Amino acid sequence: MQSNRTGYAFISPWLLGFLIFTVFPFVASIYLSFCRYDIISPPAWVGTANYEELLAKDPRLWKALWNTLYYASVAVPLGIVAAFALALLLNLDVKGMSVYRTIFFLPNIVPAVATSIVFVWILNPQIGLVNGLLRHIGVEGPAWLNDTKWAMRSLIMMSLWGVGGSVIIYLAGLKDIPASLYEAAVVDGAGTWDRVRHVTIPMMTPVIFFNLIMGIIGAFQYFTQAFIMTAGGPEDSTLFYALYLFYRAWRYLDMGYASAMAWVLFVVVTTVTAVVFRTHRKWVHYGG
Amino acid sequence: MAGEYSATVSSRGLDQAPPSSGLRRLVVVLLNLLLVGSLVLFFALPGPQERSYPQREPVRFWHMWSGEWKDVVDGIAAEFNKSQDKYEVIALSVPGASADYKFLLAVAGGDPPDCMAQWNQVIPAWADQGMLVPLDTLMSPAEWQDFQASAYPVALKIGCYKGHLYGVTTGINIWGCYYNPAHLRDAGLDPDNFPTDLDEVWAWGQKLNRYDENGNLTRMGFLPGWCQMYVPVFGGSFYDPGADQVTIYTPANLHALTWLADKHKELGYDKVVRFQSMLNTGGFSTEWPFISGQYSITVDGQWRVEQLAKYAPDLKYRTAPIPPPKGGKPLAGWSNGNFMIIPKGARHVAGAWEFIKFWSGVENPERAAKFYTRGGWLPLSPKIARAPVYQEYLRKYPQFKTFLDVLPSENIQTSAPVPYQVFLGDMIGRADDFAMRGTLAPAQALKDLERNVAQEIERRRRFGL
Repeated sequence: MQSNRTGYAFISPWLLGFLIFTVFPFVASIYLSFCRYDIISPPAWVGTANYEELLAKDPRLWKALWNTLYYASVAVPLGIVAAFALALLLNLDVKGMSVYRTIFFLPNIVPAVATSIVFVWILNPQIGLVNGLLRHIGVEGPAWLNDTKWAMRSLIMMSLWGVGGSVIIYLAGLKDIPASLYEAAVVDGAGTWDRVRHVTIPMMTPVIFFNLIMGIIGAFQYFTQAFIMTAGGPEDSTLFYALYLFYRAWRYLDMGYASAMAWVLFVVVTTVTAVVFRTHRKWVHYGG
Repeated sequence: MAGEYSATVSSRGLDQAPPSSGLRRLVVVLLNLLLVGSLVLFFALPGPQERSYPQREPVRFWHMWSGEWKDVVDGIAAEFNKSQDKYEVIALSVPGASADYKFLLAVAGGDPPDCMAQWNQVIPAWADQGMLVPLDTLMSPAEWQDFQASAYPVALKIGCYKGHLYGVTTGINIWGCYYNPAHLRDAGLDPDNFPTDLDEVWAWGQKLNRYDENGNLTRMGFLPGWCQMYVPVFGGSFYDPGADQVTIYTPANLHALTWLADKHKELGYDKVVRFQSMLNTGGFSTEWPFISGQYSITVDGQWRVEQLAKYAPDLKYRTAPIPPPKGGKPLAGWSNGNFMIIPKGARHVAGAWEFIKFWSGVENPERAAKFYTRGGWLPLSPKIARAPVYQEYLRKYPQFKTFLDVLPSENIQTSAPVPYQVFLGDMIGRADDFAMRGTLAPAQALKDLERNVAQEIERRRRFGL
């Protein structure tokens, strides 16, 4: 008992912070989502008006939700494939491999804000690096972030920049696959592709599953890059749900509405995660 | 529990030798040194702000200027502190992107600054929420009457909401045409006869455009844009003061947006987007594309005169009011400004008000004139403009006079004074964007805007706002 108390005393700064800055706002936002609240005046109860408004009368919300779902459904699988492929390459027994691994991980230690600002220049249609390279091969690149059709695609492409973090997790998973499984596969006459297809991928499914869940949650909270690089434009083509929520909360001082939006997002993320979880028995293999 | 713990320790001890006591001691000493060092550094470093006059009543003043502007503001605060012995203004530069949130949280937390210099569209919303002190209540009736009679009309439009004054201007912004005479002469145009018709400026711009071998614009002759600025020039408005109503889908507004969209179409939407994204618009004064010669004629604010004097003293340029189209209004445009507010809950309202009067020139126009010239700001009242210091500034920079001449014009409009002003501004910008890219026909963009704003009004009504 005494040792428990000592333990709690040690973690109390974190516990207090968690209770005050996470649990309390989390619970308060349920109440606020049923209120009209502008930070300054006390919250005024409006019943389900915020929910009715956002579900039935706010086309921008649906645009933002669609943009977010689109991003999640393209960027997350793309990120998984790219990270997994990179991890396979970085798992080869080649001299100086630790240097390559470091190089691929480096983008992850650059803050998102700095990366975003650099990418604004890289994707500049006239003087940017990407269009400069394309021009060398005779292709006039699009206006990227300034083009309604290309802005979202630009952000999806840019998301690949940060796959280094997932690569590390995949590498750890790859190292965990027992060598005996590969040996048995070789004995059975499996080639390289067969070994990847029938040993590596199945054994890696728990790691892929973890990255998929984290990727989905991260995609639904996508904010920084869009806030800095496009501010939701052009023509709302990169208006993400979290960004619109932020605008509603802080630009229009509509905290009640923003709280309702946050709870709708919570329900959507929970539902999508639950659906993915339900499928995991069919394709995730725990073994080895 | 204790048994398990010791078993773990002993099992670790079997395959891993414990670190030597000497090494352990060294690590402990180093960690302690690090801790003590951090604490010493933490307390030894000077605080963020040292009081120069600790015995005086502090007046905490927040503003959003940085860089060269911050020095100007700090200088004005220092002069105020020297001018009297009762108050000390402590100026704090708050990053512009988060200043509004910080201010709101400070007000909500019951510890706001005593005054703040703002330029965002906050007065109607914040005044409506009862967050701001009505500054006319700090004046005697005679002073308030004198203020209304002497201030430029646009200063009152910016600062007033529902009959009360919530912000006193310390610098009004007026936009006009800047043009490069050398470019004009090269294109065979006479800079001494700048057009007085907007369509003619457009025609000049076409002659001034330059393209690279791929057909991309490298120099823009004249690119009209930003419908809030041009709507008043076409005789339109987004607000009817008589009816106290927002007006959107009107013939004049439609005419303005259509004209602007047509010009973008004529140049090619994609070409315009590419050209604009090439420009250095990071916000630094030296990055202004007019300085680098990427614009021959451009519409910008009066503060550029001061910046050009500092950063491009050799650049020859001239200024002119935005010319109206046929049937439009002369000396028209949109205006905003820097204004000082006092939040409710401020502890030193009297000191804040003294500082506002000192800077804005309510009290002593002649003294305040020099503050306006330091930032290249347009004054609160003609009294300040008539001050010798200000007249000297106009002689030194004759281009600045263009803006001062436009300042009293009744055709200068400000954003609609409605509590959802930020929302309205965002929606107008959105409609503008849709029309300028050719995604929506101007009429449709305005209709959508009208519907969005009507929905917001209805929502506010339902919520009792």
